[in-house]
Amino acid sequence: MDQANEHVESAPQPAPVQSQPLHMAATLALCSGGWLVPGLAHILIGRWIRGIIFAACVLSMFALGIGMHGKLYDLEFDEPLHVFAFIANIGAGIPYWLAEHFNLGVGTMNWPSYDYGTTYLWVCGLLNYLIVLDAFDIAQGRKP
Amino acid sequence: MIFSHFTALVIFALIVSTVFAMITKNEPREQLRYGVFVFLSFLAVAFLVGWLMYPLPL
Repeated sequence: MDQANEHVESAPQPAPVQSQPLHMAATLALCSGGWLVPGLAHILIGRWIRGIIFAACVLSMFALGIGMHGKLYDLEFDEPLHVFAFIANIGAGIPYWLAEHFNLGVGTMNWPSYDYGTTYLWVCGLLNYLIVLDAFDIAQGRKP
Repeated sequence: MIFSHFTALVIFALIVSTVFAMITKNEPREQLRYGVFVFLSFLAVAFLVGWLMYPLPL
């Protein structure tokens, strides 16, 4: 019996999965891709389920924000507080420039859900920054 | 596209809680538990603040 217990106790435990850290240049390239296309960084690392869920969250939030006639801010130094809104908006990456190109983020102030739409557009960009930081940590081996 | 305040809040809370849960937790069970907690916290705080603001002449 004791021998059986010893056998169980000495059974090799599965080692925690620890990925090899990437070079900093590769990590930064990965994060740039993740910023431009939400979720891409996780997909390239191999966490494709997580990447697809992140992409769905950010892109659906962006689409809802545009659909609710939210406003996308440009870089304007005349209104200093708009710079923060611009920084939040560009977090969405390529969708921001696509929407700007097709004049989708003009914003209709008298639309009932204008404020919600604008908030959605800010928050989806900020969430994408968090997602890119998460990909950075995974790529550097700081996070399983 | 026009949503009610509550619908916009629920969709917002759902998306943000999903991302928060997947960023902060690693195990699927932990992610689910934390995501539900954050989602319900969003709703609870919104209801609480809404009722606190109700008597104010806004």
